[in-house]
Amino acid sequence: MKTNADILILGIGNLLMGDEGVGVHFADSLLKESLPPDVEVLDGGTAGIQLMEAIESHRHVLIVDATLDGLPAGTIREIKPRFTSDYPAAMSTHDIGLKDLISGLTLLGRQPEIFLFVVSIDKVQPLEIGLSPAVDAVLGDIKEKVFQRMEKIRSENSEG
Amino acid sequence: MSANRIVIDPITRIEGHLRIEAEIQNGKVTDSYSSGTMVRLLEEILKGRDPRDAWAFVGRVCGVCTTVHSLASVRSVEDALDIVVPPNAEMVRNIMFCTQYMHDHVVHFYHLHAMDWVDVVNALKADPKKTSELAQSISNWPKSSPGYFSDLQKRIGRFVESGQLGIFANGYWGHPAYKLPPEVNLIGLAHYLEALEWQKEIVRIHAIFGGKNPHPNFLVGGMACAIGLDDASGINAERLAYVDQLLREAKTFVEQVYIPDLLAIASFYKDWGAIGGGLGSYLAYGDLPVNGYRDESSFKFPSGVILNKDISKVYDVDLRKDEEVQEFVQRSWYKYEGGDDKGLHPWKGETVLNYTGPKPPYEHLNVEEKYSFLKTPRWNGNAVEVGPLARVLVGYARGREDFKEVVDAALSKLEVPVTALFSTLGRTAARGLETALVAGWAREFYDMLITNLKNGDDRMAAMEKFDPKTWPAQAQGVGHTEAPRGALAHWIVIEDQKINNYQLVVPTTWNASPRDPEGKSSAYEAALLDTPVANPEQPVEILRTIHSFDPCMACAVHLYDEEGQHLSRVQALG
Repeated sequence: MKTNADILILGIGNLLMGDEGVGVHFADSLLKESLPPDVEVLDGGTAGIQLMEAIESHRHVLIVDATLDGLPAGTIREIKPRFTSDYPAAMSTHDIGLKDLISGLTLLGRQPEIFLFVVSIDKVQPLEIGLSPAVDAVLGDIKEKVFQRMEKIRSENSEG
Repeated sequence: MSANRIVIDPITRIEGHLRIEAEIQNGKVTDSYSSGTMVRLLEEILKGRDPRDAWAFVGRVCGVCTTVHSLASVRSVEDALDIVVPPNAEMVRNIMFCTQYMHDHVVHFYHLHAMDWVDVVNALKADPKKTSELAQSISNWPKSSPGYFSDLQKRIGRFVESGQLGIFANGYWGHPAYKLPPEVNLIGLAHYLEALEWQKEIVRIHAIFGGKNPHPNFLVGGMACAIGLDDASGINAERLAYVDQLLREAKTFVEQVYIPDLLAIASFYKDWGAIGGGLGSYLAYGDLPVNGYRDESSFKFPSGVILNKDISKVYDVDLRKDEEVQEFVQRSWYKYEGGDDKGLHPWKGETVLNYTGPKPPYEHLNVEEKYSFLKTPRWNGNAVEVGPLARVLVGYARGREDFKEVVDAALSKLEVPVTALFSTLGRTAARGLETALVAGWAREFYDMLITNLKNGDDRMAAMEKFDPKTWPAQAQGVGHTEAPRGALAHWIVIEDQKINNYQLVVPTTWNASPRDPEGKSSAYEAALLDTPVANPEQPVEILRTIHSFDPCMACAVHLYDEEGQHLSRVQALG
């Protein structure tokens, strides 16, 4: 991917498993909007290690993903993971998943600044393409949180 | 609840899709059960949809297998509607397929399977100078100086000391089953990181031809990309030259890194040439057409079946014949209208759920009855293994010179007989050997594409039958491919321009399925028999065999002692 964007917003998830696909639904909704030129949006789907170039070619990566963490559905938390062990359990898109990729980037000394936005879901529903009402209702809140972080990074970058 | 079928192949975001229950006596596996514990019901999503859209849905099934499912899907529709894709599209599909192979196999070897053989922590004890000498003795790969290995060792050392094992956290480091000298471990570790760098280059080919990656675009009738040597906005001479460069670099990496490492590591594990063989019967559908999907004689990967390790005879395969490929549900959580002991060809496939298993969370499955969400596919009633070993053996047994050359060279280098192929080691070696073949074929496909373009043919899709008005009221087709993990096919029935039935039989279903009505095991269960297990708390030996199949899922391994007591629950590496 050739890009001049400094910030990547990366939605992760499986579109065929209901709320598990919330990251992808979110990325798709942003793709329809006009965003600043230094911000790029990617639907990462269920990919893991294939996202290496996209992740390492941006200085800041904002990842949106679902998590089964027992909190009420639709809860959004922003996490600044220091180590890959800080990522939630569901954050493993494949045998060799995103977590492993980020570990690898750390070893190579090329890990970008990562912010993780995890959206709590109740369950993974096979056979569902849409979101449940509880999770669908927070798409706007996810955007607000992600954009807050995005604007903070942009203003820090323009100052520094 | 009506549903179609499950595929455990992908979706591994939640652990526990594959469950192995193994019984151990006197340090060996005496019985094992393989269960898919998650139902996916993809076919239910597809029913009633436009057949031309199916590729996009099946492509979402998995982040790694996205291209192979999309390819099988468009082929099934083309087969049903008698659409022949133009030569350019065939070559572009082949090049994407080869890209997928090289990416998938290298990543499997270094990032999943290598850790079953390479002890990362032990690599810290290696002498960088000796490592350099060893590396230079097995390959011309330039990154091999003592300084290179010494720098790497320091970097990993700091990483490990900080308590951040990260990727390496789940290993059974120091386990007696690890046999490599520290220097070989260090080479393996160095190439783990180099392969991570390399894989991001090769996948660019998918973005070039598929418009984007992950989840590149496919099209019923051809491919969706505009191509022409002088095309300003599409895939032109400049972009093609970049593809050429990436394919060359990939071939160099496979030849100078993957293959030498594979042979060097294998030479310390020759005993695994007699472990994990399992069924000894193999099935390949064949793939990589050079003269159209219907002309199987033009396939680079030939099709065929080998039974009972007899490579003097290869049986032909016909996926359209009612009695050849059938799926059984006697031991699966489904029911068939005509009785669970009958097999059904996928065009007539039914997928009605009938879960009779315990309510999760549970300790044991009732393996005397139904115990898996996977159906059990059989070829003419035979349990067969699919995957790299099946493809390589079929090519070898068909007498193909290109196969014989790479296989015989490896056997002679390792000084093992051809029977050593029927094993865990053979499976892992076959994956590397076919990657070397694929790396060469990719260059041929590229040349064919360029020749065709230079001859003035820039057609990329046959659109005459794209309009559903041109379709017959009823049509059925089968789209088969050789996914990196093995034979994959999608069977489609189209009625009144909509999908009426859609069945996927994926490689992991062939290999990981439960027993059939006659009580015969499938490939995973058979391969685990007699596997030595030194320490049931750390069953690295079981992981070696299961990983040698490249299961596309998180793999929860459960072990039981003689009394059936639960010994440990081990989340597989990676």
